[in-house]
Amino acid sequence: MKAPALSFSKAPVKFRMPTSANLVPIRLDIEIDGQRFKDAFTWNPSDPDSEVVVFSKRTVKDLKLPPAFITQIASSIQTQLAEFRSYEGQDMYSGEKIVPIKLDLRVNHTLIKDQFLWDMNNFESDPEEFARTFCKDLGIEDPEVGPAIAFAIREQLYEIATQSVASARESRISKKGRRGTEHATSSKSSGSALDLVKLFGYRSSVVRKRKDWDVYEPIVDHLSNEEVDALEAREVRTIR
Amino acid sequence: MATTISPSPVTLQPPGPSTTEIEPDSETPSNPKQPQTQTPIKPDTPATATAVAIATPRPPDPPPSSDADIIHIPSYSRWFSWDNIHECEVRFLPEFFDSRSPSKNPKVYMHYRNSIVKQFREHQRQQAPSRKITFTDARKTLVGDVGSIRRVFDFLEAWGLINYSPSAQNKPLKWEDKDAKSSSSQGAEAKAAAAAAAAAAADSSAGPSKENSKVVCSGCKLVCSIACFACDKYDLTLCARCYVRGNYRVGVNSSDFRRVEISEDTKTDWTEKENLHLMEAILHYGDDWRRVAQYVGGRSDKECVAHFLKLPFGEEYLKHADSGEVDVKYNQMKDHVDAECRLESSGASFSSKRLCLTPLADASNPIMAQAAFLSALAGVDVAEAAAQAAVTSLSQVGLGASKEPQSSLAKITKLQEADVTPNGNTTGNALEGAFVEANSQLQKDELDVERAISRIAEVQMKEIQDKLVHFENLDMQMEKEWQQLEQMKNMLFVDQLTLLFHRSSAPKTDERMEQKSVRID
Repeated sequence: MKAPALSFSKAPVKFRMPTSANLVPIRLDIEIDGQRFKDAFTWNPSDPDSEVVVFSKRTVKDLKLPPAFITQIASSIQTQLAEFRSYEGQDMYSGEKIVPIKLDLRVNHTLIKDQFLWDMNNFESDPEEFARTFCKDLGIEDPEVGPAIAFAIREQLYEIATQSVASARESRISKKGRRGTEHATSSKSSGSALDLVKLFGYRSSVVRKRKDWDVYEPIVDHLSNEEVDALEAREVRTIR
Repeated sequence: MATTISPSPVTLQPPGPSTTEIEPDSETPSNPKQPQTQTPIKPDTPATATAVAIATPRPPDPPPSSDADIIHIPSYSRWFSWDNIHECEVRFLPEFFDSRSPSKNPKVYMHYRNSIVKQFREHQRQQAPSRKITFTDARKTLVGDVGSIRRVFDFLEAWGLINYSPSAQNKPLKWEDKDAKSSSSQGAEAKAAAAAAAAAAADSSAGPSKENSKVVCSGCKLVCSIACFACDKYDLTLCARCYVRGNYRVGVNSSDFRRVEISEDTKTDWTEKENLHLMEAILHYGDDWRRVAQYVGGRSDKECVAHFLKLPFGEEYLKHADSGEVDVKYNQMKDHVDAECRLESSGASFSSKRLCLTPLADASNPIMAQAAFLSALAGVDVAEAAAQAAVTSLSQVGLGASKEPQSSLAKITKLQEADVTPNGNTTGNALEGAFVEANSQLQKDELDVERAISRIAEVQMKEIQDKLVHFENLDMQMEKEWQQLEQMKNMLFVDQLTLLFHRSSAPKTDERMEQKSVRID
């Protein structure tokens, strides 16, 4: 079968975050003695390891947490970094991959729901820039929303990238003929790739249908205090 | 936003306060857009081209005036401008300028820097008391990797562009702690006159220099102006800024330092008139330093107190006829009372009796406090006599305990009644009495036990005797029966014999019968 015009058979690329800055999303959720510390930020994996301890000490001092948190935070960061590094040497599939990214997060008093498509192949993409523009366009005043959005995007990209590493490994093991086409069928996000063919084929146009507009429109809600409390209580309950 | 890097020669070393090597062209291209920085004296920028990145720049004098809404930055950070990047920024944070990573470019750096500074100033304007922003606050609002944000934040903090408080006196807590500690350590010296102690300590802690001469800080080699911190352990003298910034060696702890006031008297010497006023006021008002300060006029109450202590002839005013020795005792007892209390008590020991009692309440041991209280009430001699009597009686009680319990008990009670002294004695006697009682009890119990044992023995012996008697009776009965039996045997034999005789008297078988009877015999 002849490979379609889209270059499926590109040579696999070493794993990295498909963004312009190779940053790792780190999520912390530590509980000691009933005190819960949740945080999410991006880390530069090329920083020296001493930076981890410095950062955790700084955070504990700033937030006036008990010092038992320092080691926990540092070890959590380090495990996630190690996980990231374990992927680094391996191959990642790099074919056509446009994936849907969903945003569903609550930062202080702002609730954000959004969905859009992202090109995994674009290694120059910048979630931070997207977040900046997002906040500016929607007039979000809370300065903490931007980093949260960027982090959510980055996290999903990271997940998809790791999945692609796994699937690249599978296809390498199977080692059958047209790796590209096989891969296209076996990859998890092949759904969207095929959708693309459907969407951008000669029958349809790039312009989205009107009925799909609601799905792809960002929703930004400003919550009052009571709603925030209710949501938090619900979250805690579901976690338990 | 064009990024221009200023072309001036390296001006990394911040200026010292008193050196005046002015290099006119080394002024940074300060844009007109610096409305928020102070414009103090000319920046003294020595043209030392040190390429070494200094970790913490040496702090100079703070800008003079301090209004509410003006943002303060130290004079060595005048290069800061919103639109430009200075050379020292390039030097300190090279990661943004070496185009190694595409996301770290000067534009991004400026965005981080400006937003952090803006955030700090916003914070400062809104919440005056807590003027610092933490790194965590900053990084939560910035998009990017936390490592580089932290570096920018540290850089800004080190150069005083954020979290900078305009005057070094804004560290009241630490300094006041030092003050209290040093003066209480002075109070612990068992000198009769607190003033003498204070004067001596002040002299010794001024270090190598006298009070009026300048003290040079061993950390930054600048003259210490307001106060300095001396560490005796390692023989260091640091100016206030170096101490606060932690600019000392690794092994030295911040608690090893002692604060030394220098500028108290050098700032404004006390005139004779003021001294006189002070003395009069103290005589009149005693320990009410507020009124003393009012009387003196122009001096705060703390200044009055401090100056009064430093006066060499203050001893005379502190020694009172009766309460001199009492003062000694009290000074010895309350090491841990803070400076105010001590000053009050020493300055106002004119009214001795009243104050005699108050410091004692602070003694940690309640029993000792009571004892001291009682002895204070009774007077020194009486307390001494009482203590001696208590000791002697205790020793006597110790001897008495080895005798017969009851007699010693009586003795102890007599001794108890004889003593009219504070508490420690009675507790000793009570112990002795208890001991003696216990002894007597023991002996009684022993006797009881003996008696019981003897009774048991008696009873058992009786039992045995009875048994013996019984057996004897039995024996006798047996004998009797035996005898009876014998008799009966004999009778039977006699009967048999007579019967045979009668038979033998018959005609034919007589002979045989006789033979038989002979044979039988």
